[in-house]
Amino acid sequence: MNEINDINIDLSCTEKCEGCEKYFDCNMPQKDRLLVQVRMQRARKALAQVKHKIISVGGKGGVGKTLCAVNIAAALAMKGRKVGILDQVFDGPCVPRMLGVERKGMEYTEEGLVPTEAILGIKVASMGLILGEDEVVTWFHEMKRNATEELICHVLWGELDYLIVDVPAGTSSDTVNVIQYIPDMDGATVVTVPSEVSQAVAYKAVVLLQKANIPVFGVFENQGTFTCPTCGLQTDILQSGGGLRIAGKTDVPFIGSIPLDQRVAECADDGTPVVYKHPESEAGQIFIKAAELIEKRCGMA
Amino acid sequence: MVDQEGRMKEEKKGIIAINVDLNCTLMCESCEKFFKCKNPERLKIFDRRRMAKAKETMAKIKYKIAICAGKGGVGKSTVTVNMAAALAMKGRKVAILDQDLDGPCIPRMLGLLGKKLNMGRKGIIPVEGLLGIKVISMSLIRGEDDTTTWFHELRRNATEEFIAHVDYGELDYLLVDLPPGTSSDAVNIMEYIPDLDGTVVVTNPTWVSQIVARRATLMALEGGVNVLGVVENMSGFVCPGCSEVHYLMKKGGGERVAEELEVPFLGRIPLDPVISKLSDGGTPYVYEFPESEPAKAMFNIVNQIVNQVEELVGLWKDKDNIAGV
Repeated sequence: MNEINDINIDLSCTEKCEGCEKYFDCNMPQKDRLLVQVRMQRARKALAQVKHKIISVGGKGGVGKTLCAVNIAAALAMKGRKVGILDQVFDGPCVPRMLGVERKGMEYTEEGLVPTEAILGIKVASMGLILGEDEVVTWFHEMKRNATEELICHVLWGELDYLIVDVPAGTSSDTVNVIQYIPDMDGATVVTVPSEVSQAVAYKAVVLLQKANIPVFGVFENQGTFTCPTCGLQTDILQSGGGLRIAGKTDVPFIGSIPLDQRVAECADDGTPVVYKHPESEAGQIFIKAAELIEKRCGMA
Repeated sequence: MVDQEGRMKEEKKGIIAINVDLNCTLMCESCEKFFKCKNPERLKIFDRRRMAKAKETMAKIKYKIAICAGKGGVGKSTVTVNMAAALAMKGRKVAILDQDLDGPCIPRMLGLLGKKLNMGRKGIIPVEGLLGIKVISMSLIRGEDDTTTWFHELRRNATEEFIAHVDYGELDYLLVDLPPGTSSDAVNIMEYIPDLDGTVVVTNPTWVSQIVARRATLMALEGGVNVLGVVENMSGFVCPGCSEVHYLMKKGGGERVAEELEVPFLGRIPLDPVISKLSDGGTPYVYEFPESEPAKAMFNIVNQIVNQVEELVGLWKDKDNIAGV
């Protein structure tokens, strides 16, 4: 019996960096050639008027990546910034629902695709605006890359202070694609729930960001302590301290713990960001704090 | 379009779809539209060597069930682990295939962290956990800091490895824990296990989660896979202080999806601090606290699944024996 140490090992190099799984592990200088390709140039041109780009990651699913992306965008827009959201989730996009624009669709003109405007003037580009409710996406890597290119290069983002990118769970296709197309990402926010299981996966996402040289601005903990509105008893349904632990382990600031609060789920379903509807709530305060942190790190404060 | 003064008028049109490709190269194996396609040519992939090998290994397993959700973090892995434990407690021989290659969680939830898969004469030997549950997972191969950034082909290779070349032996149940999404990993499983007995769809009560769960259900139906039913997880929390029930993530989402798509609703599992703690600790709650509310809900769900699946195939004749926990 032999212990298995790895599978799918492939050490050959075909110099096709674009479709390479090891792009961010690779140290060869050839890989920089990718950045001067026409399509990458076009992406740069399309985002030329976007001052700062921020990616919201979690690694694990359902921890609140989209919730954070939407609320950070709203908090920044409440400060008077011009904000756009790129929903990089193709299989199950939620940004349109969380911003109340899911029936609006997306339009195009001769110049390109027009992002749909949501509350506070937030510009949204998402598959959810294109797909019907019952359409299922089963794309593999190349199709996803095409779609990423479409939503970056051919969308009339115009002048923006911030573009927030929401990626799906996992560390593969969709995340790699967007990092390749936006090589000058300013930073990332990481979300985790308090449980250990979630942290282990979030850590993998942080490792990928480090490999791609994207600084992590801070860590959110979502689904934190629940306070009973009837008797005031506090319960850590999904345990506690996970966010702090991963922030310590990776040496990045801990932004705060978003409590489990019925209002958060309600706002998400209703299509109004919680930071806009209940800015005084604990969740709202944390997103305002995050927005301040981002402004500072991007030199906008 | 030109307006009255002869200027070009800006014309806006709604976008109906992107990435439309109607070509067919007859490379069915790596086709995104495999399950939407009506061309009988596509069925030839099942005669290929790799698929034939998968079929051979899978033939020794009586029932194969995939646990999916579309959305992440709704409790697919928790449900999988507890379903496996409940089945094992009923005397079934069970294995779990952790199809989440990027962020695998099953080994931690069964206390198998640090254990490694071995290569035997007949293929990869699964790691055995509590109650004899056999586990195959990426995190039994790679370390905690290793990030997986595979695109489609490498994912398919890994799935093939985990299905065709594992020495599962004789089993009653194989539970496949799918990652979020409806693309690569879900399609791969449906291709490599064409005789899947069904899928269990997990959702939490929120609307946001439902719209994604709906897509996952439709995907299974499109691929001709039987949907055993919908489970609503994280449904309600009983405050230990005042015993009042709080629906932190609202209520009724699972039922709505099931009703709309005309598939069975299997039940709801409440939020309980014990679930998270035991998942991190590596013990399924149905095993540690079989009397708790979440465990009772889970037993009820498992009974329904067992009834559906085993009755369907008709191999377990002594049905009364199965119904009681």
